[in-house]
Amino acid sequence: MVKGKSTSGRQKIPIEKIPKKSHLQVTFSKRRLGLFKKASELCTLCGVEIGIIVFSPAEKAFSFGHPNVESIIDRFLTRNPAPDSGAHQLVEAHRNANVRDLSMQLTQLQNQFEVEKKRGDDLDQSRKLRQRQFWWESPIDELGLQELQLLKLSMEELKKNVEKQTNKILMEHNSMSSPIVGPNGVRYYDVFEKKPEIKMFSTAPNAYNLHFNHGYL
Amino acid sequence: MTRKKVKLQFIANDSARKSTFKKRKRGLLKKVSELSTLCGVEACAFVYSPYDPEPEIWPSPMEAQRVLTRFIRMPEQEKSKKMVNQEIFLRERVFKTKEHVKKLRKENREKELSLLMYQYLSTGRILQPMSMIDVNDLHWFVGQNIREINSRIEVMKRLAQPNESQAAVEAPAPAPALAPAPVPTPAVMAAAVAPGMVGAGERLQVEQGRGLVSNVGAMQSQQPWFMDLQVSNGGEEMLPFGIANHQNPFWPMN
Repeated sequence: MVKGKSTSGRQKIPIEKIPKKSHLQVTFSKRRLGLFKKASELCTLCGVEIGIIVFSPAEKAFSFGHPNVESIIDRFLTRNPAPDSGAHQLVEAHRNANVRDLSMQLTQLQNQFEVEKKRGDDLDQSRKLRQRQFWWESPIDELGLQELQLLKLSMEELKKNVEKQTNKILMEHNSMSSPIVGPNGVRYYDVFEKKPEIKMFSTAPNAYNLHFNHGYL
Repeated sequence: MTRKKVKLQFIANDSARKSTFKKRKRGLLKKVSELSTLCGVEACAFVYSPYDPEPEIWPSPMEAQRVLTRFIRMPEQEKSKKMVNQEIFLRERVFKTKEHVKKLRKENREKELSLLMYQYLSTGRILQPMSMIDVNDLHWFVGQNIREINSRIEVMKRLAQPNESQAAVEAPAPAPALAPAPVPTPAVMAAAVAPGMVGAGERLQVEQGRGLVSNVGAMQSQQPWFMDLQVSNGGEEMLPFGIANHQNPFWPMN
């Protein structure tokens, strides 16, 4: 089913205190996170030291600091630059290495996210197109009773076929015929066809067993 | 607004780094200011850089001092609770992003299974090679869909009752049937069924008689076969594949 956008996107708001309390709290959460992200990026990109302290509407204290909040506070209060001893530098170097690794990891994950998002959008697109052609692809709450019953029959047919196929696979497995073995050792099976029924095999698939690193569409 | 996506690592080029610093620092302080105003909260920021002997302080050294004092006076535990540095912050972000990726992959997997299922319904075949995992998952997925269709059919049958108050009482009843369904219910289907249930009630009474026609109206070229048996449109695929074996003598057998 194609959902409409669930958020209203970027809205321009006047910079004055938000009147509605719930809106204010949501805004605080989002913007606080965004603020820390920006601060974090600035530190990584330009190698500078930053400290931010923010109190929430509920009077909780949120703080961000690079290298850490205390050293920034000290630096400000004592008006002295941070000491640069050998041990200190070593700790710094170690911490920076961690930050570098984490930054790379984050970038990698963000890319994965983009990839998956695009895939999702593409799948949605093609579903949308198919919905125009085939009534049975519409969301089920848009279908009439007769349609639902037809659809149900059809799906039950499919389910039986899947079970036959599973059967067939197991028979083949036992009888040592060699299905095509894919690159990671996973067997691929023939075009999904109807075969004479051997035996009803009731698969009880683990409903939680959705392998998401496996699609190949 | 930048077009290029900047890599999250130290900018080696000195001038690029300096100009990036200036821009982003300005942006950062603007954001602190907006946050403070929009939410009516106290905040302060300190930026130390090699480009300036003095730190840049928002709102002003005096104001910042005030906020700082308020902060320092807090008990240690309250201060530390929401205190982060780069490392901690990045770890949190990595974790959250991992979760988002997982969630998306799950949704995409369900969309894929949906695609496979509809491919079969449309053409009677599934064209991609399927692994054992795909076959298993598809089996589960189709089962889920059948369950939801059954629930939906129940709802519609009850809503078709002549007794209005009974229908109103009965309508919410199927909802619990869906609630215990396993979490990986296709988001697509669950979203379709849940909100639609009661709201579509009124529509249902009117549409039952028209059945397919109401949908066909949206589709240009297709006639539901059993509405008009004289016209046998054998070539067009108007029905999901499995129906062929059950009822329609006009449907070509593959």
